[in-house]
Amino acid sequence: MAPEQSPPGVRIRGLTVVYRTPAGELPAVSGVDLDLAPGTITGVVGESGSGKSTLALSLLNAVQPPGRIAAGSVEIDGLGDVVALGGEGLRRARGRHVGYVFQAAQNSLNPLKTVGKQVLDLGRSHGVEDPRGLLADARDLLGRMGLDGARVLDSYQHELSGGMRQRVGIMLALVLNARLVVLDEPTTALDMITQATILRIVREVHAERGLTTLVITHDLGVVAEVADRLAVMYGGRLAEQGPTREVLAGPRHPYTRGLLGAIPRLVGDIGEARALPGRPPTLAGVPADGCVFRERCPLRMDVCETGRPPVVVSGSRSAACHAVRDDEGDRPAVAAATGEDQA
Amino acid sequence: MAVLLRRLAGHVARGFVMILVVTTISFLIIRSVPGDPLLARYQKLVEQGMAPDAAQRAVEALYGFTPKGGLWEQYLDYMGGLAHLDLGQSLSVPGTGVSTVLFSAAKWTLIPVLAGTLLSFLVGVVMGVYAAIKRTGVLGDLLAISGSLLHGVPQYVLALLLGAIFTTLIPILPAGGTADIVIDPGFTADYIGSLVQHATLPVVTYALAGYGGWILAMKSSVVTVLGDDFILAAELRGMKRSIIFRYVARNAILPLFTILALSLGLLFGGSIFIERIFNYPGLGLMLIDSINNRDYSLMGGAFLLITTAVVVANIAADLLYTVIDPRVRSGGEAA
Repeated sequence: MAPEQSPPGVRIRGLTVVYRTPAGELPAVSGVDLDLAPGTITGVVGESGSGKSTLALSLLNAVQPPGRIAAGSVEIDGLGDVVALGGEGLRRARGRHVGYVFQAAQNSLNPLKTVGKQVLDLGRSHGVEDPRGLLADARDLLGRMGLDGARVLDSYQHELSGGMRQRVGIMLALVLNARLVVLDEPTTALDMITQATILRIVREVHAERGLTTLVITHDLGVVAEVADRLAVMYGGRLAEQGPTREVLAGPRHPYTRGLLGAIPRLVGDIGEARALPGRPPTLAGVPADGCVFRERCPLRMDVCETGRPPVVVSGSRSAACHAVRDDEGDRPAVAAATGEDQA
Repeated sequence: MAVLLRRLAGHVARGFVMILVVTTISFLIIRSVPGDPLLARYQKLVEQGMAPDAAQRAVEALYGFTPKGGLWEQYLDYMGGLAHLDLGQSLSVPGTGVSTVLFSAAKWTLIPVLAGTLLSFLVGVVMGVYAAIKRTGVLGDLLAISGSLLHGVPQYVLALLLGAIFTTLIPILPAGGTADIVIDPGFTADYIGSLVQHATLPVVTYALAGYGGWILAMKSSVVTVLGDDFILAAELRGMKRSIIFRYVARNAILPLFTILALSLGLLFGGSIFIERIFNYPGLGLMLIDSINNRDYSLMGGAFLLITTAVVVANIAADLLYTVIDPRVRSGGEAA
């Protein structure tokens, strides 16, 4: 089973991913710094188009054309800088070192082959010498996730439900003993009960196998459920990151505040939930200078038009906003805004 | 297995009804064509300079009968014969059964068309995969253009062009016929060599005429599959290129099998143009002759053959699907 070594850490530095469009190369991810501490679950939250899936694909250096990683590095322990990898080395790293779990709604299996045969294809691709052992591992993993392993291995994709497919996806990401796992929208398009089951499985498997896990989602509830750390993305940039509990309890970035304020409470008036005004920027609509969130920001100042927001670090938290001060704890400096209007 | 058999039984029953209906319709259409076989023969003899009286007597002597009874009686007679697998006697080739005429024409159509179709399918599919993979490059463009071009040129233009090039400009191939008449038919190297030589131009024409359709169909099918999630998933799992290629190819070729099966069914119709240009005595030429001679029973037999072939090809395509596509298989179980 899993080799006895510590789970890998990941350091993303200055990651910029651009997509080629008729209007030139536009950044989908722009200058992102993010650390995944060994053995933790990190949740990346963002709206559609915030660049979170592009970020996830970057961990495997798998940004699809017309996109490309324009700058930055993704250092993974035991693998080095993934951005510098290519060809066979990159192929071997995928699946073996980094497991990728697709969105549940996506059909990530070949419809013409049984799950078991695809496990064998995976083994053949990675030079596994004991195919029977691999199938046994796959069966055990599926059994661990509450499925009848033998039956699922003998099934085609169309014979499995959404929740079952998602567990098969997790099995395929783990069966080669990858210690770094990326889950892209793991619960989207699943019903509530299945969502809860999948999240429980993610947590348990993470702990049992000693993984470093990255969960990409648009659902703050999912992050609150599983993640140790939370990173909020907006317009291709990290707005805020920190320990999940702290960020949810005291958000500093106005975008995080807006997101949390938009969630209706179980108790209390539904009218208390405030939707964020406006809509997220499109790829072409991301402003070149200044803060990407300023169009929708209640704390907008003159400096937001021109200056890229500084990353304000305090302890294990950071937020990229002109209105956040590292010395003033939890509250954005609304009052200080007036004195801050130099070019 | 039981699913397969039940499916087969249903298909055969439906196919039988289909053949019955088509046979009835073609019977009616054939009888409503102006003129009749005796008249056609009579006119031919008169044109050849025979006196009208003599021609009339000759025709009656030749056939020994005149089509008798009303349409309804003729229909019952015909269907009764079919029930005993008797297609009747050819009217234009007296003394010969329709099935004999059909059989001798069929071999000159089936073998070349089958060879041409399979050749164009193989080449077209392989080239289609390349055209899809290299679709942003020059090679992909060239392949796609070659497909559109050949798909757009009518068969008979291709046939005339090839004929002009290889029999006149560079005379390396015979202009027509099935074999050199000086060589005695038999299982000898000379005769078989001559057969192959004579079949080359028709086969190549069939192949080139089909190639364009296959390459275009395969290209679009591969492009669709390449965009599917499971291909990206396989890449992100670090699958080998060769395995991913097989995933793509097998998924992309599925829809083409339907077209292949249908075109194999239609090949029994022969190709009138190509057979005429290369003077190849296949089903297409035979059908034209039978229509010109108002040979009711031969026409009926030819239509019956084409109908049956299409129906059988459809059934074969459907059964093939239950074998190669697991989704169709379990669809049957659920029903």
